[in-house]
Amino acid sequence: MDGVARILRRFVSATIIISVFLIILNFIMLGTWFFKGMDKSHSPRGVVKRVTDGLHKTGDTYFLDMESEQLLDQLSAWAMLVDNSGHVTWGYDLPGQLPLTYSLIDVAQFSRNYLLDYPVFVWEHDHGLIVVGYPKDSLAKYRFAFPIEWVSDLPFKSITLIIGNMMLALLLSILVGSQLIKSIKPLISGIHALSDEQPVNIDPKGVLSDLAKSINRTSSLLQKKNASLKSRDEARSNWIAGISHDIRTPLSMVLGYASELEENHSIPAEHRKQIGIIRQQGEKLRSLVSDLNLVSMLEYEMQPLTIKPVRLSVLARQTASEFLNNGLNEAFTLDLDVADESASVNGDEKLLLRAITNLVQNSIDHNPGGCQILLKTYVDCNKKSCRFIVADNGKGICQREIPHLTELPYSSKRKHPVHNGHGLGLPMVARIAKAHHGQLVLTSDTGKGMNAEIILPAI
Amino acid sequence: MDEMMNKKILIVDDELEIRNMIDSFLRKEGFYRIYQAENCKAALAICRSNHPDIAILDVMLPDGDGFALLSAIRQFARIPVLFLSARGEDEDRLLGLGLGADDYIVKPFLLRELTLRLMAVLRRVYHPIPVPERQPVFQLGSSTVDLESAAVSGDKGEQPLTAKEHTLLLKLYENRNRIVTSDALCQSAWGDHYYGYENTLMVHIRRIREKIESDPSNPVYLLTVRGLGYKLSVKEG
Repeated sequence: MDGVARILRRFVSATIIISVFLIILNFIMLGTWFFKGMDKSHSPRGVVKRVTDGLHKTGDTYFLDMESEQLLDQLSAWAMLVDNSGHVTWGYDLPGQLPLTYSLIDVAQFSRNYLLDYPVFVWEHDHGLIVVGYPKDSLAKYRFAFPIEWVSDLPFKSITLIIGNMMLALLLSILVGSQLIKSIKPLISGIHALSDEQPVNIDPKGVLSDLAKSINRTSSLLQKKNASLKSRDEARSNWIAGISHDIRTPLSMVLGYASELEENHSIPAEHRKQIGIIRQQGEKLRSLVSDLNLVSMLEYEMQPLTIKPVRLSVLARQTASEFLNNGLNEAFTLDLDVADESASVNGDEKLLLRAITNLVQNSIDHNPGGCQILLKTYVDCNKKSCRFIVADNGKGICQREIPHLTELPYSSKRKHPVHNGHGLGLPMVARIAKAHHGQLVLTSDTGKGMNAEIILPAI
Repeated sequence: MDEMMNKKILIVDDELEIRNMIDSFLRKEGFYRIYQAENCKAALAICRSNHPDIAILDVMLPDGDGFALLSAIRQFARIPVLFLSARGEDEDRLLGLGLGADDYIVKPFLLRELTLRLMAVLRRVYHPIPVPERQPVFQLGSSTVDLESAAVSGDKGEQPLTAKEHTLLLKLYENRNRIVTSDALCQSAWGDHYYGYENTLMVHIRRIREKIESDPSNPVYLLTVRGLGYKLSVKEG
């Protein structure tokens, strides 16, 4: 909704800015035109004044200077001087039909309006009245008379007009904008829903119906793709679950009969030893199958988690005790550093224990000569995450290979063959961490030991 | 014991080989009244006609799952049931949903384990020991720890054990010669919300040592495993 309000706000302010700009522009243009059209030197007022100034009397004759003559020629205008008794005493380029005497009424009339359709302008001269006539139909003469009230109200009225215009622009822009928003709104919420992978169905109408249709189409495509991905994931996971189920039954028989024969004392000891190997390998196969199943369930996010608060230090002690109780080789030492007892996470205790056990077992498996293994827990300084670290001082692994360690074995991303064990250990740890919204970070280099950190959100 | 061998056992599994293997093994152990069924329908028919005393049920069957079969059987007979599960994830259902299964075993299993569990269920259901199981009595050097009467007798004479000391010693004895983490000990004594009892635990351990050790500051039986917990060292036999 925030997006819609923002769009409307921007639209309205843009409209207002545009209208203010237009008003200002119009005023400026009007002003320049107006004043350009009333060019001072060529304005009728200017011309008649110029002619008045340029007309001099020498004896009984009047002379017009060159400049004024040129000006009148240029404008194709004529000029005359009417003395106090109404007689024309001087003329320049006078049209023939003009009378040579004028009464008071005539003067009053033409000074306000036209003289025989010639627009004329008058100016006072020492010897009478100068009249300058422009060609017919070249100028329009208007006289305005305004009440004083009206004139004094003019600034107020124009400001009111401008404000009124602005209000109208604002109103119209809100109206138009909200109409626009009304048609865009379903599209906006549709696009938001698309990014959340929610199903979208917009009623395609109005100008933007094409857009609505294509959003609907995108949504249904996305839904279809997700569904097919999900069903494929499920199929894969079920397939592995099915295979591991089908392997368990024959394996039950292998293990069942093998352990029977192993305890049968009528069989020679040497054969019993070989049968023992069959049983051990069968048990290995059993753990491989259940690990494979677990990793596949985690990979496709189908493993149910029993989430409850778990203290990491408890897991550290439990793991260490398990290894010591099961007869850890003396070449290995297990150290604990659980300085912060409060480091705890929401998690599946069994799976987390499994992850830590895998990490410790990894250190043991890859350092047959023995090494020191440190289990460390702590809360990050931002209090947002906890770390469980399993570090050893063993032979480590080349830095280049680290990214491949958490990939599933036999996948295209895992270039290097698995050296020890079945190669599911670290991928399982990484997936358990991911299922807990955390991650597994491995740091190592040849000869520098292995440092594995499970980073989980703290509580 | 012979009476137990007379019990009628029903094996329900869709795999003939599995049924035969369990069958032959149980016969070797001395059972002789064994019935086999390959699906729910046959299993129900046998339950109605032969009234077996115990059933071993596979979870996955061609015409339904073992849980449904159990409910159907329980409609008319209250016999103990032991589940065979081929899926690890069934574990939670077996334990959590309280379906009334008496025990379960995950495939692939060792036959010896199956027999032990079967016998245990039979004993529990058909031969309940009238008094609850006796609590262990054991020897630590010159002192005798009697958890039944909650007392330690030795050089220092007879000293009673408090309830908490008894709980802790029992937990340690059940895991004798193995490290028990302080968390596990606290949990057994104070329940799930045990966080913060570590110091109290140390006090209790010291009191136990005063009762069972001849030199409590240099213990030889109740050993501290630094950073992890404690271990009760008991010489067997």
